[in-house]
Amino acid sequence: MATSTTTLNKDFEWVVTKFETMIKRETEISVAIPTIGILTEVIRNSHATTIMGLQKDLEDAAKQLKTCPFNQSISLSSVCDLFIRFVTRTSLDFPNFDHVNRIKISQLADKFIRDGVTILVHGFSRVVLALLLNAAFQGKRFSVIVTESRPDSSGYKTAARLQAANIPVKLIMDGGVSRIIDKVDYVLCGAEAIVENGGIVNKIGTYQISIVAKAFKKPFYVAAESFKFTRSYPLNQSDIESLKNEHISEPFKVCNSCSNCENPEQLTIDSPTLDYTPPSYITLLFTELGVLTPSAVSDELIKLYY
Amino acid sequence: MERQLETFILHLKRKNVVGSYQVSRATAELLRHWVSKEKWSNAKTLIEAIRAIGKRLIDAQPLEFCIGNIVRRVLFIIREEYLAIKKNTELESATSSTTSKSPSSSASSSTTTSPTPASPQTTAVHNLSSSTSATSQLRSETSSKHLLSYEDNEDIDFTENFPRLKAAIIDSVNELIDELEGLHRNVADQAIEHIHSNETIMTLGCSKTVEEFLKEAARKRSFKVIVVETSPSLEGQKTALTLSKASIDTTLITDSAVFAMMSRVNKVIIGTHAVMANGGLIATSGTHLLAVAAKYHSVPIVVCTGLYKLCPLYAYDQDTFNNFGSPGEYLKFEEAEYLEHVHSYNPTFDYITPDLISLFITNIGGHNPDYLYRLIQEYYDPRDSLEDDQ
Repeated sequence: MATSTTTLNKDFEWVVTKFETMIKRETEISVAIPTIGILTEVIRNSHATTIMGLQKDLEDAAKQLKTCPFNQSISLSSVCDLFIRFVTRTSLDFPNFDHVNRIKISQLADKFIRDGVTILVHGFSRVVLALLLNAAFQGKRFSVIVTESRPDSSGYKTAARLQAANIPVKLIMDGGVSRIIDKVDYVLCGAEAIVENGGIVNKIGTYQISIVAKAFKKPFYVAAESFKFTRSYPLNQSDIESLKNEHISEPFKVCNSCSNCENPEQLTIDSPTLDYTPPSYITLLFTELGVLTPSAVSDELIKLYY
Repeated sequence: MERQLETFILHLKRKNVVGSYQVSRATAELLRHWVSKEKWSNAKTLIEAIRAIGKRLIDAQPLEFCIGNIVRRVLFIIREEYLAIKKNTELESATSSTTSKSPSSSASSSTTTSPTPASPQTTAVHNLSSSTSATSQLRSETSSKHLLSYEDNEDIDFTENFPRLKAAIIDSVNELIDELEGLHRNVADQAIEHIHSNETIMTLGCSKTVEEFLKEAARKRSFKVIVVETSPSLEGQKTALTLSKASIDTTLITDSAVFAMMSRVNKVIIGTHAVMANGGLIATSGTHLLAVAAKYHSVPIVVCTGLYKLCPLYAYDQDTFNNFGSPGEYLKFEEAEYLEHVHSYNPTFDYITPDLISLFITNIGGHNPDYLYRLIQEYYDPRDSLEDDQ
């Protein structure tokens, strides 16, 4: 306990005060009731957008409760743990789940990478990278086309990592997708979030690539861990702003040399970083729960949350 | 037993046993025989043995997907029965131990699942409460089974020995065989709901399920059937013959006439060789052409199939699961000298993507292609993927 007090999160000090008042007001009730009440309130006030974030908030709050001087019952700790387990039980099931999940996804998606295929990758995703490296490690021969993925140009990172693993890789501009789509066998990308209807929220540009892929009847695959499953139902592009306050992010830097304009900085710039891809554009999702069709996602979400 | 297995493998290789239905039944019966005749000490060794047999059978005829499906169904049955018996035994031992022990000691044993109950008045009352808590625990375990399946994978090793297991497995495999026997009937029973009077139905190939389906509908309704001849096997001609014998108004057309005839068709009803995990089909070549024509004219495509054709596999493109037949069916051997420089391919199957299919009619009812993943979760265990079975 002494060591854990040093890592207490200051944001959750209100939890202890609240707990104190509740305990003092009603001496008769079991410790479980105020605990659950407080943890529920933590969830309500939490700004976390992923299960991991929520889990961290809950754990911080629970740590405060467990170490506070008003905690006179051992059951408080178990109530906290049970509650967190119930709320975030899937993510808690993996001790080292980040790594384990990626291995599992790589195995499941393994058969989709066959010799001779050309894969279009957008942005940088650890799962996608793990999957491709795993396939290359097994001696599969395939080539990858990576988009530049502006504004953060994360495609360069993906391309560099793939090249380092001796995978033939080509970098293209974001605008060049439909130009090269006929050479591509399928599109593979990661996801920031998988939403309730089976659609995904991902790096800007994913949606337009999925539309091009559909127009050319190319499969569009998504690889992501199940903790990306989010209880949110975006109906249009602007709905994803509520998931992440993306407009706070600074606008992309104008390129002075290529803008051909005297003061490009004075132009109004809108730079959203995420877009929403509806489920109808997604062929399959590779998650560690299995290879899912978009409609299976809501089923899995129900299992996680109800 | 080994000899029987060898003979069956030989039959499969020589295509003496053909047709999904015949192969499935033979596989199920062979496995049932194996479970009852061979010696096995626990479920784990049985699972391993069945899996090994399954792999050999699949290797003998890799494109008869139903072999793998039946093997997986049997493996699933073994796991289910094992878990059921295990839970029952645990439940029994739990209840018997609480009755023998004093109330205070049993109370401490049950506190893990239920909040400390008010001190029990009599042993009988307490026995009841502890057994219900055990049942509720059992129920919660089964409901969260899929969720926490990661733990289940490692926790249960299927090594315990239960004398009742063998009989239970054989019973369930018998049920599976009954299901196979009754499936044509079960699919056909739904015919009236799907075929209406004076409709025009198009079908292709030769499928017992579709044939029974149409015949059943013909007992109550009058409708027209257009049969595609399905070159080069010309199976469609056989279908046309049987349907016309059952006094159904039947028209035979060539494969090339599919698009031209489609505009007057109300419904396309087809059988399939296999159904993939995403709701796609592996079906006789020519089916894709039919499906695309139907899509163009917005004609619904209904697929009649038994559940045993549902595979937990994904087809990645047209070539993943395919076979090339002999061109002898349409090129005469005597003409070979003129055709010296001509290439000819005779693919056996087409892969049809799920977005072209409107409805699946299985022996347990109608399903949307999007829904098939749930049936797969219901009938197969993800551990039984028989990895190298393609």
